[in-house]
Amino acid sequence: MSYYGSTDYSYNSDFNLRIQDIKKGSLDFGWLDDARDTVEVRRRDPRRGLTLEDVEVGDYAIENTPEVVRDNRGLAPRGAILTEGSVQPDLGPTLNKKTDVWGYRVQRYWEEAMSRQWNVTTDVPWQDMDKHEIPDDIEYAFCQLCTLLSEVEMIATDLPSKWSHHMNSHFQEVKGFIATQCIDEARHAEVFRKRALANGVGLLRASVRGEHALKGILEADSYSEGSVFLHVLGEGFILTLFRSSEFISPTPVEQRMFQLVMQDEARHVSYGLQHLKYLMDNCPEVRPQINGFLDEAERHLTGLFNPDQLESMIVLGGKGTTPECIKKGIEVVGAFQGKQIAEYFHRAERAGLPERKERSPLLELQRRMLGAVQAA
Amino acid sequence: MAIKFPSVDFFQELARRMAADPAGFEKLGFCDTVMGVKVEGDSSHLYALTFDVFECSDVRELASPGDAELDFTLEAPLELWREMFESIKKTGHPEPAYSLNSLSHVGDRMRVVYDEPEGHDAFYRFMATIQAFVDQSAELEIEWA
Repeated sequence: MSYYGSTDYSYNSDFNLRIQDIKKGSLDFGWLDDARDTVEVRRRDPRRGLTLEDVEVGDYAIENTPEVVRDNRGLAPRGAILTEGSVQPDLGPTLNKKTDVWGYRVQRYWEEAMSRQWNVTTDVPWQDMDKHEIPDDIEYAFCQLCTLLSEVEMIATDLPSKWSHHMNSHFQEVKGFIATQCIDEARHAEVFRKRALANGVGLLRASVRGEHALKGILEADSYSEGSVFLHVLGEGFILTLFRSSEFISPTPVEQRMFQLVMQDEARHVSYGLQHLKYLMDNCPEVRPQINGFLDEAERHLTGLFNPDQLESMIVLGGKGTTPECIKKGIEVVGAFQGKQIAEYFHRAERAGLPERKERSPLLELQRRMLGAVQAA
Repeated sequence: MAIKFPSVDFFQELARRMAADPAGFEKLGFCDTVMGVKVEGDSSHLYALTFDVFECSDVRELASPGDAELDFTLEAPLELWREMFESIKKTGHPEPAYSLNSLSHVGDRMRVVYDEPEGHDAFYRFMATIQAFVDQSAELEIEWA
């Protein structure tokens, strides 16, 4: 035990006497003394049930929260009444400024996440796997891809978990959204593990370069840096990789799997984009810091272009290991890598960082890869 | 009775079937996006499909893209749309090469046109719903324009 409270309630006579009184029926209803006027909550669309936006009213609304939360460093949710004269325990949140975490439309992303949950065990048509014959070289390549994707999903689970308890409880919507991201990413790691094992090949080689890249995400100095690396840069690239993986899926089973994971990934990218946009709109002074961080993050990310992953994608893209297949696979992979980079720059530009295109090492990487293809 | 493609009637029929299958689409979750479908041919047609919670609540033909706030538009020649729907007709789902994602990814046989990245990402956020929406065409007899 590393935390001992300032009061031992089990031996506190005032507290025990009061509890005894209550149990004898002597209620004083003091908890109603500070009650505010009631609020009017309206369900705007009965098909959606009661949404977070429906309960954004009065003192409960994020718009009515100060930009910096100073009066609550504990677990009291936004809108709860803090007892006068008492001190809530300080849980040490370090993200107390709205711009530290907030993103436009975060309430909607949380609702969307909750309504679009799916189940690896029952929503992927595993029973159809026996209907399809997959050549060995394709199966091995697919399992190598699943291995890398499992590693990626581990970090995408850990990053939001790492930052959640640092967020002030006033930002409940962000904490809630990144909690849904944790379960999404855990589900992705589950689906890739199950698929790698389903045909007996299992997981293949873990990626040293890839894991160095992923470590950079976890070690970000601030939540915003971690978010822009994970949500915008990393998951943006992985979203395109998922799209490509659906495109080169050996059977409809894998295709379904990628359709489902892509939906979750795109939602995380959208939140990241809206957080970056909110940050740039409301706290432009952090721009040099974010740019400096991305200069390094983009270098880290090149670690995901590791030879094992690249080769397995080429085999999947070309549907085999003959020279013709490999040639075709190189073209397919080159095309989607170009998309990854172009879509990232477009997102960065719309979030308010158009200079990424000039500063980024990714374009040079792409030029080198294209040069290698042309020289071959 | 055969339904002509492309036409407002065709998409309205898919919308009607979507509304008649609440369990199937509620399981896939909220879907909120305005999607454009452009069918290119001798005379091109552009449609706006409004997805709202669990329904496709509005289908309209547009004179130009500026007539609606479209999150993204899928653009392809009539022949490609026909190949896609014929592939869906075989089993109720497209063959791998004819899923909406596959068609619009490498090679850009079907183009995804958008202004804002968030609108673009909406295509992927709601992919399972949109694919299920077009998969309903398997039960339709289609008259090609």
